[in-house]
Amino acid sequence: MLISHLVCALSLVVFYILQTTIFSQTRLLSGTADLILLFLAAWSLQEQIKNSWLWTVVAGVFISILSAMPFFAPLIGYLGMVGISKGLQRRVWQNPLIAMLLVVLLGTFFQHSLYVIVLQITGAPITWGQSLDNVILPSALLNLIFALPIYAVANDLARRVTPLEVEA
Amino acid sequence: MKFLNSKNSQTIIIIVVVSGLLFLALSGYLTPVFNLSLNPLISLQSWLSVRYLSARDFFTTPRDVTFLREQNALLESQVTLLQTQLIVIEERLGEAQVCFALLDFGRINPQFTYVAATVIGREISPFMQYIIIDRGTNHGVRYGMPVVTQQGLVGRVDAVIASAARVKLITDSTSVVNIRLQSAGIEAQLQGSLTGDVSLDMIPLDVNIEPGDVVLTSGLGGNFPPNVFVGQVLSTQRDENALFLTASVQPIVPFETISAVLIVTNFEAVDISPLIPEP
Repeated sequence: MLISHLVCALSLVVFYILQTTIFSQTRLLSGTADLILLFLAAWSLQEQIKNSWLWTVVAGVFISILSAMPFFAPLIGYLGMVGISKGLQRRVWQNPLIAMLLVVLLGTFFQHSLYVIVLQITGAPITWGQSLDNVILPSALLNLIFALPIYAVANDLARRVTPLEVEA
Repeated sequence: MKFLNSKNSQTIIIIVVVSGLLFLALSGYLTPVFNLSLNPLISLQSWLSVRYLSARDFFTTPRDVTFLREQNALLESQVTLLQTQLIVIEERLGEAQVCFALLDFGRINPQFTYVAATVIGREISPFMQYIIIDRGTNHGVRYGMPVVTQQGLVGRVDAVIASAARVKLITDSTSVVNIRLQSAGIEAQLQGSLTGDVSLDMIPLDVNIEPGDVVLTSGLGGNFPPNVFVGQVLSTQRDENALFLTASVQPIVPFETISAVLIVTNFEAVDISPLIPEP
């Protein structure tokens, strides 16, 4: 259990560093991939992992403090995404890859819609059309592209830290 | 007659025959005979030589290929090493050029004191245009300090911790900079956007603005020092019923590739928001 926490924490730190140094600069129009979101989505879809809510809160608070986004919007975004993940996990659990893609797509739309609403509340002159064309759709595409590699990494890590019981 | 015994006569005959043959050969009479007799020999020699060379190549070439492959691998490794060294040198040269340029900017603007910082990250959210730098309160960086490069205005410090700070770029959608158009002699507001483009707003309709006009900070509002280069006017838009002109601006700073910045530490931003009457 302790190893699982440790691996998750280290992974989040690594993905945060990768995100701020590389992936935030790799833009499609104005959209970027969100490795933290992808990792949390993949981690929460692992059946044997029981600490995904905890680490979503930790990562959300951490990112909210470091990000310029107001009102702890990243925390709410990540919690919403993990909620979607847990909801879908019960319905499409037989095909985790499809579940991952669905979670990433819905989670990206949820998170970015929340960001647009928060920024509009704070008075930023951004519109839904502009946000959709320049940020939300490109980000969703990039997230979908990176979803499968991140899922593979998270799946491998989860299997190593909590080996599945072999049925007799 | 004793002289012409059988032994001497044999020698004389041989000498005569040899002399005759030499004479015939030197005079060219024996050429057809030579050709006839040497052609098969040359053919045989050629055939044997070709086979020999083939056999020699067969046995010696693999050894040469192995040797050449070793040499090639050695040279390739040397090329890789040299390329690596070249990349390192080019990186250091690039850093040195940035440092020299920042130093030049400091020399040109001696009224300010600066802290140089390296860009170590960017904002996670694609909706926000911020950079993270590796200097914080430990190095004298405070909230609100303007950030520039050798080329012009970058933004201002938005949040700061002991060893790092977050800088809001002028391209951020919530960023507003009071500027002055040098040629037209008017003041306006530079507004960022979601896409990172910047535009001018609140320009009176009767003002003539041309593409290429220089945009400088005006110093109004107390957020930025005056006369810092911001960019150049790219184009103007005049809507029929609008009260003001708008213009697109090309920022002078390449925000996508920015790697080092200067923080102006002796400029204190003035917060005038309490003085602005609420509607």
